[in-house]
Amino acid sequence: MSEAPRQITLREWDRRYERWQAAGVPQPAYGGPLGRHVADGDTRLLKLRFDNSPAALRLWNFLLTEEDRLRAARAGGKRLVGTMKDLGTVPVMAYSLDNLVAFYPDGAWWIPCVMEVNSGLLQIADSLGIDESFCPVRAMLGAFVTEAHFPIPDLLTCSVGATCDDFSAIAQRLNGLGHPILWWEIPHRRAPEEGEEAVLLPGGFSAPKSQIEFVKSELQRVRFALEDLAGRSLDDEMLARGIAQANEVRRLLAQLQHLAFTAAPCPMPALEMLIAEMLAIHFCSDRAETIAVLRELLEEVNRRVAAGTGYFPADAVRIFWVNPVADLRVMNLLEDCGGRICGTEYLFTHALDPIPVDVPPLETLAQMALADPMVGSAIDRATRIIAEICRFGAEAVIVSRIPGASHCALEGEIIAEMVREECGLPVLEIEVPPLTDAMAPALRTRLEALVETVRDRRSR
Amino acid sequence: MLSSVVSYMAEPEKIIVYTCPYVPAEWIAAHGLTPRRLIPLPVAGAVTIPRMEGLCPYARAFVNDVAACENVDGVIITTLCDQMRRVFDLLVRRARLPAFLLNVPSTWQTVAAQRLYLDELKRLSRFLVRLGGRAPDRDELARAMLDPDLPGESGSEFRLQAGVRSTAFTRVKPSDLPSSLPRLRNVEPAAPEDSLARLKAELGPQTRTKAFGDPLRTHETNRTATGRPSTRLGRTESHGVGVPIAVVGGPLMQRDQVLFDIIRDCGGQIVLDATETGARGRHGPFDRRRLADDPLLELAQTYFRIPDAGRRPNSELYEWLQEELHRSGARGILFHHYVWCDKWRAELARLKEWVGLAVLGLDSDGNGEMSLARLRSRVRAFLEMLE
Repeated sequence: MSEAPRQITLREWDRRYERWQAAGVPQPAYGGPLGRHVADGDTRLLKLRFDNSPAALRLWNFLLTEEDRLRAARAGGKRLVGTMKDLGTVPVMAYSLDNLVAFYPDGAWWIPCVMEVNSGLLQIADSLGIDESFCPVRAMLGAFVTEAHFPIPDLLTCSVGATCDDFSAIAQRLNGLGHPILWWEIPHRRAPEEGEEAVLLPGGFSAPKSQIEFVKSELQRVRFALEDLAGRSLDDEMLARGIAQANEVRRLLAQLQHLAFTAAPCPMPALEMLIAEMLAIHFCSDRAETIAVLRELLEEVNRRVAAGTGYFPADAVRIFWVNPVADLRVMNLLEDCGGRICGTEYLFTHALDPIPVDVPPLETLAQMALADPMVGSAIDRATRIIAEICRFGAEAVIVSRIPGASHCALEGEIIAEMVREECGLPVLEIEVPPLTDAMAPALRTRLEALVETVRDRRSR
Repeated sequence: MLSSVVSYMAEPEKIIVYTCPYVPAEWIAAHGLTPRRLIPLPVAGAVTIPRMEGLCPYARAFVNDVAACENVDGVIITTLCDQMRRVFDLLVRRARLPAFLLNVPSTWQTVAAQRLYLDELKRLSRFLVRLGGRAPDRDELARAMLDPDLPGESGSEFRLQAGVRSTAFTRVKPSDLPSSLPRLRNVEPAAPEDSLARLKAELGPQTRTKAFGDPLRTHETNRTATGRPSTRLGRTESHGVGVPIAVVGGPLMQRDQVLFDIIRDCGGQIVLDATETGARGRHGPFDRRRLADDPLLELAQTYFRIPDAGRRPNSELYEWLQEELHRSGARGILFHHYVWCDKWRAELARLKEWVGLAVLGLDSDGNGEMSLARLRSRVRAFLEMLE
């Protein structure tokens, strides 16, 4: 089955799947032709191009069957935890209890893209007063109203404080509609002051010990709620085992990233890498399967690197990408324009850092929560981006704005300023709505201009 | 009234500006520093942060006004909203003014959150001392908390408004203030008077542009059962001419005073200013016994109870509104928010569902480009409907 890497369409995938099925190639329980998701309304898939490996097919099928998995988990007696505005902390805790399944309701922000705005979710959000001045994550409100995209969780948690206003406001609206929420506070991460005990966080930021203690006390509240829901205690030993599993996910992703961003030719396209990274946040509702999916993907990437096969011409421009895109198609577009991804900061780099295991579990999780690039200053975030740019040798930076997101108004300005000052690299800021079809020509022109600029700099 | 404000500020040392209601003026004053709550005009011309898609006009105006000020020795910004938290980053990169980011927890129901706020006030104290303030003692803080003339003290709303006016209008009419007072520089090529004059001209000859807060001139301040400040019109005013209206929303800039004028001109009377720069943004009364025991704790606890849309959950805001709307006798609500202010924008639909009164939403880009004619028409139609 091993073929030269090639990006293929959905139709090609389905024909290929038929052949595999006829040949008796084994597939996971959630496997099947990708085309069946189009029948469910995921029409955006028709406009994407996918990596042609079995590992990529498994990744896509895993992603697109999460709702089924959640319903099956509930039917099997498990309790569901919706972890809102939480990029990788509470899910680690929830999965430490074997009768809980955590998921990420905010993930509904991709539904308008995947269903090409045919889901009606944004219209529901509009009717609730959450209009297009908010981030596309407002689709989550519609998903709660229709109950058509995920089951209503048994417990909803939401981090607040140093978080986006738009999400916080949407969560409050949800709360006002009658969904109880356990709010937990994440304070703005600040630099330790003179004389204050400091803690070096995973990822390189530092914070005062007092902030770690505060977040730890907040996570303790979350732990009590999870214990109540699960009907059993969640001790440090269980948490430590959960952390070890989360670290396995992160270890696999770190290897994947390193190869995808540095190997020539590129062994895995940007779209599949984006999906793979997203698994780290909440394990797509099945931690064990996440590990299996990532292992297979890594095996494929290793195989390609060893064989010297991959994508894109050798002179593909090395791009560092900031923020996730609301329209997945844009990742294809960048590659069409002559770019390849060599570094990402999709808002959750902290969820990819190994969780320290030399401190008590709740404390280490508090450190991870405070290491979130979004809870600190944009200057901190830019500093980390610059370090990653240097690490992966990126030649240009794209800051992808999320329409309506409160953090996007200013952070791009700071990131661009600092990258230009310290790296001397060109920076392009673009805005990516859930569907970019109408603006695709303009977007393409801008991306091509960036690629051309970098090539011109090379020749000087 | 101005004399009392001037009297308080007669021996100015260093000026600390802020705009968020969760910054206790008393705490700054107890350090021997002069607190100034800055309500942006906004200034024209001086630009630390240009207009940007998605940027809250108020946050932008505040930072630009602060950066344009002379003789300001420090600025305090809070984390009450994400946009303010983020403009702090640009301020520290682009202005040399010492700046402090006060962590105001969004949650309020836990002891840990309350303690975090208290600890932040202590951290603020260290910042103020570094700026040349003196470490406050209990008596000094207690005196500041009992000082009725301190801007931010809840004992008199008009006093607060006067304080706001003295701050914000210093640049407009520096000659109004004694020469001994520190001055804020006239920063913009086009003087703020011009902006106000332009607004007046746009409003037409019938409109009187008054100082911000004038609609509250005849208000009495009362304490509610919950101990929060209450705004109630005096008997004469409450039975006066005009449809009783509440203005609800986030902060207002000085230029938004036109809204108050338009309401009056269209036949309304404002019986409740529940904006951040109005009664809602004020803390409740201090408990004198607790104040004597531990003034800082009492200060923190009292300020921490200010209701706001950004608290999680924000049920206290609705409890406050329920009480105040009932007390004021408002028959309709004008809900004001700036574009890109997610936290207030999201409350509009919820308020409409909850309140049982007519609600008219008014958004503003904060740049004075909102059509005043359109605004007037909307307000007039709303008031006619309520008559």
